[in-house]
Amino acid sequence: MTGSVNKPGFPLTYCVGAAVLLLAITLFVSGCVGNDSPEERRTISVTGSTTVLPVGQAAADAYMDTHLYDEILVSGGGSGAGIKAVGEGTADIGMASRDIKAEEKQKYPNLVEHVIAVDGIALIVHPSNPVTTMTMDEIKAIYKGDITNWKDLGGEDRPIVPVGRDSASGTREFFYEAVMHKEEFVRTQQELNSNGAVKQTVAQTPDAIGYVGLGYLDNTVAAVTIDLNGDSVVPNIENIKNKSYPIARGLNMYTQGQPSGLVKEYLDFLMSVEGQRIVAEQGFVPVQ
Amino acid sequence: MHRMNDHSSSLSSPAGISRQKKESVITGIWLATALVAVITIILILGFLLKEGLPALLEIGLREFLFEEIWTPTSVEPSYGILSLIIGTILVTLGAMVIAVPLGIGSAIFIAEIAPRSVREAIKPAIELLAGIPSVVYGFFGLVVLTNWLRITFDLSSGATWLAGSIILGIMALPTIISVSEDAITSVPQEYRAASLALGATRWQTIIGVIIPAALSGITAAVILGMGRAIGETMAVLMVTGNAAIIPDPLWNILSPVRTLTATLGIEMGEVAIGSTHYHALFAIALVLLLIALIINLSATVILGRIRNAQMGTGKTPFLSHEVKGKVKTVCLWLACILLIGVLTVISGLSGALLLIGAIGAYLLIQRIITPKITEKIAFGMITAATGLVLFTLFVILFDIVSNGLSAITWEFLTEGPRDLGRSGGIFPAIVGTIYLVVGAIAIALPIGVGAAIYLNEYTIEGKMTKIIRTGNDLLNGTPSIVFGLFGFAFLVIFVGLGVSLLAGQITLALMVLPTIIRTSEEALKSVPDSLRHGSLALGATRWHTISRVVLPAAAPGILTGTILSIGRAAGETAPLLFTAVVFSKRFLPDSVFEPVMALPYHLFILATNVPGADTQKYGTALVLLILVTGIYAVAVLMRKHAQNTVRW
Amino acid sequence: MKQQDNALETKALNLYYGSAQALIDVDIQIPKNQVTALIGPSGCGKSTLLRCFNRMNDLIPDCTISGSILYHGEEITGRSTDVVELRKRIGMVFQQPNPFPKSIYENVIYGPKVHGVRDRKQLDEIAEKSLKGAAIWEEVRERLHDAARGLSGGQQQRLCIARTLSVGPDIILMDEPCSALDPIATAKIENLITELKDEYTVVIVTHNMQQAARVSDYTGFMYMGRLIEFDSTPVIFEKPKEELTENYITGRFG
Repeated sequence: MTGSVNKPGFPLTYCVGAAVLLLAITLFVSGCVGNDSPEERRTISVTGSTTVLPVGQAAADAYMDTHLYDEILVSGGGSGAGIKAVGEGTADIGMASRDIKAEEKQKYPNLVEHVIAVDGIALIVHPSNPVTTMTMDEIKAIYKGDITNWKDLGGEDRPIVPVGRDSASGTREFFYEAVMHKEEFVRTQQELNSNGAVKQTVAQTPDAIGYVGLGYLDNTVAAVTIDLNGDSVVPNIENIKNKSYPIARGLNMYTQGQPSGLVKEYLDFLMSVEGQRIVAEQGFVPVQ
Repeated sequence: MHRMNDHSSSLSSPAGISRQKKESVITGIWLATALVAVITIILILGFLLKEGLPALLEIGLREFLFEEIWTPTSVEPSYGILSLIIGTILVTLGAMVIAVPLGIGSAIFIAEIAPRSVREAIKPAIELLAGIPSVVYGFFGLVVLTNWLRITFDLSSGATWLAGSIILGIMALPTIISVSEDAITSVPQEYRAASLALGATRWQTIIGVIIPAALSGITAAVILGMGRAIGETMAVLMVTGNAAIIPDPLWNILSPVRTLTATLGIEMGEVAIGSTHYHALFAIALVLLLIALIINLSATVILGRIRNAQMGTGKTPFLSHEVKGKVKTVCLWLACILLIGVLTVISGLSGALLLIGAIGAYLLIQRIITPKITEKIAFGMITAATGLVLFTLFVILFDIVSNGLSAITWEFLTEGPRDLGRSGGIFPAIVGTIYLVVGAIAIALPIGVGAAIYLNEYTIEGKMTKIIRTGNDLLNGTPSIVFGLFGFAFLVIFVGLGVSLLAGQITLALMVLPTIIRTSEEALKSVPDSLRHGSLALGATRWHTISRVVLPAAAPGILTGTILSIGRAAGETAPLLFTAVVFSKRFLPDSVFEPVMALPYHLFILATNVPGADTQKYGTALVLLILVTGIYAVAVLMRKHAQNTVRW
Repeated sequence: MKQQDNALETKALNLYYGSAQALIDVDIQIPKNQVTALIGPSGCGKSTLLRCFNRMNDLIPDCTISGSILYHGEEITGRSTDVVELRKRIGMVFQQPNPFPKSIYENVIYGPKVHGVRDRKQLDEIAEKSLKGAAIWEEVRERLHDAARGLSGGQQQRLCIARTLSVGPDIILMDEPCSALDPIATAKIENLITELKDEYTVVIVTHNMQQAARVSDYTGFMYMGRLIEFDSTPVIFEKPKEELTENYITGRFG
């Protein structure tokens, strides 16, 4: 197996190899154990849904402006990742744009839910699209694949390009329940992994329809007014607050047991008048 | 021990023995480094199996692999990944169809045709392409490419298989070009001289001698590029539309598709831990790894064949030369007929006739025109291919620079972010990225070069090297998102590093390790044996020979690998997502156990979840680009220095 | 020698690598169907001169020449010269055996294929003829499709000669063809060179003076970029006119 040149040292070679590896692994593991954070600074980490991240970050910024020795680290990798991180203890707070699932509850039974905001979901089309009002049934029919041409809704004779969120997204799951009533999406639906990407796609695709959080509405897309038995309901904060807009869901934060210390202070801040003002600023609907 | 002659020490003196021991110790160290890749891949495989197996057991292997419908969150979920597998294969194939001719063409241009000054300008420029973060590619694809496709082909949506293939093709290009170019450059000058002296044109020399002689390096380049394409997540999921369908008909390149990596990328973050869906995603990662393994293994076989055929070390071929020739002819005809058949189905009779006409015209022209004209045409096409690559680079750079320049202010570069990055700056992210990249390279470079030294210098081909190579190939084919998940499960939770700089550095290091090993090995291989023998014959020890003679000679090639790795490490989001990054951080990290900000992640969040941060988004991309360019510039200068000092 | 046709002739040939002059006013006449040897110490310009004849110096950036080189009376230094055709007629064998990493057969037919021969039968004939011409046919006829790099050094060099013959040149330039070979292989090549002169004009650069004496009809001695002396081989080795030549021949320097 080895060249004759190093035959005399052959077994030694392997011994040393094993030893070096072992040493490296030991060093590596032991290096990680003595890992304690500085006393004077309190640090917590908040991670999870990228939808909730803007609220979490903005609130953390505001909180840290008045509490100079506290550090709140916010990151986003997804609702599931957030719940896992808080469940496994690698984060102090997990953010989720959906409710905790049965499997997760079973795995991490101690998680406590805090609803910090409500997110309205608006249907959006290209600004040039003449179709700006739909009923809930029509929306469902589009995403089911029953209506495939804009002319059936009084628009031009062009195919509809339904754009949705990926199958794991909390937004999509909510849409699936609230709009689709758990009937299947058409399989040609394009699936994108963020509100930003959906908005971007709809903004540059004249035949597309998509759904995004309220905070993403701007003049590059047109929000669809929903026709509820003759009442036209525009997606805006007011209509969500008075519950007349039908597609809205809660944004959650999870903690391991009841919060205490900086975690509690941070969550309390979020629920305070100041905190809820930040929620509104980020385009979400306050819960208080 | 009696003295044989007047020499002051005998041939088996204690000094000699201790020298031998020292050599063994050094060999052991290299063996250990070579095993890092193997151990990592075993850990990853084990981890994927552990998490993926429950899904396979519940769903059933056959249903999982051969069912077409993927609706994991429905009331009656279906977990068939056939459409995803096909999507992955199609997008990768498409990317290769684009990247291989363009890449090899550009490599030929750089190595053989371009004047020295042009070469020295183009080479780093193309390596820069590798440094553009995948998020930027994805964003460019989403905003510019899909829109262009939609308008050009009058589609209702430009998010298609074609868009995915183009983006992945562009992303695979730098790897293919750099590694092929190295392979072509290392073809001995004597071959060129011999061919030209026979009266061959330069083009005939390139096609007839140089490319065949560099074939193993070029194949390695294509595999590396393919590894990059197949494992890419962030860019591909932004442009392919992600509809989990099989294109209808199968060759409809304007159909949306969804790849295995995109499925992981978009669903992994959100999925409920412990659910069937969660386990099914790990099973998908496993399937992805297996696909990568199959590609790599077949490539290894091909590579072995090529080397044997060239060096005359192989066994007698299974088929005699005559039979092989006949088989080749038959295959060629079959392929032609198949192609014409497919064309007929797609575009009717006219398309097929056109193709037949084209082939006929080509054959006719080949007889009429002189080799000189052929050379002119070929060089023209190759120059055009390089031009196209550079143009693409220019378009992407222009997009980033023109949109990002207005964001660059002193404040932007030196302050922390405020208002979710809509104002303030990105200083902590710049520092974080530098820490991450430097740390990752500091870990991966010694291990990678050590492994390459072990493979190339300290051992002959055998079971051990085969295992190490396979491990390395597998690691190369592992998608970055899997590294992220592995980093989270192993480093962050199991080892207990927490979400930290160190966890991110190690994850990135493991990710770039295969590239470093592969390119370092190629570099070591290209050092002529006469150099080694010259040193050994002087009584130098093996290690002395390697450190003083071989490594300096191989340094330029090793640096190329490092450069590619820096680009990759700096631009990656997926492996950091769960291991190292936070969105905003007030203080710079005091130790490697704290999390950091990173530019690609910052960009990712700005692009996807912070409305109203367009300028900052492009500004971040621009800074990332400038940063990578800066690190590149240093590495390129180092390579140049090494090239100038080493000659043989 | 005056009555003979000259295969190659240079007039006031000067060659520069950048600003360094490598050939100074070289005037040489290479007679047809004879073996001409170029000898001289390392760096004297003999290889450079050889490479002028088939324009291999074109490959070296910033290499410039002045003066003229005539091939059968035709100027070949100009831009209009068809270098490809020239190299087809003036073959070259290099110092290191450099077969391509292909099979023996593919090595020999590479040249003809490059020049447009497609017919399999014709290629087979050329291969056999060239390999016979290079006195290697008997050794490789059974293994034509094995890799050429698997041959011994001497066989590789003869294969390279066969490869050169395959395109039908009338002049063969040899750049120290035996310096990498053992005495037996060298002897074979030397015999071959003697046989080749019936059909070809051979110009050989060599370090080995005995070799020059053994194989060549004419010898040129070069020193510091100049052609010091050129005459028939016996004259050069037995009664050279120049003192420099004599010193070199007798081993007093170089």
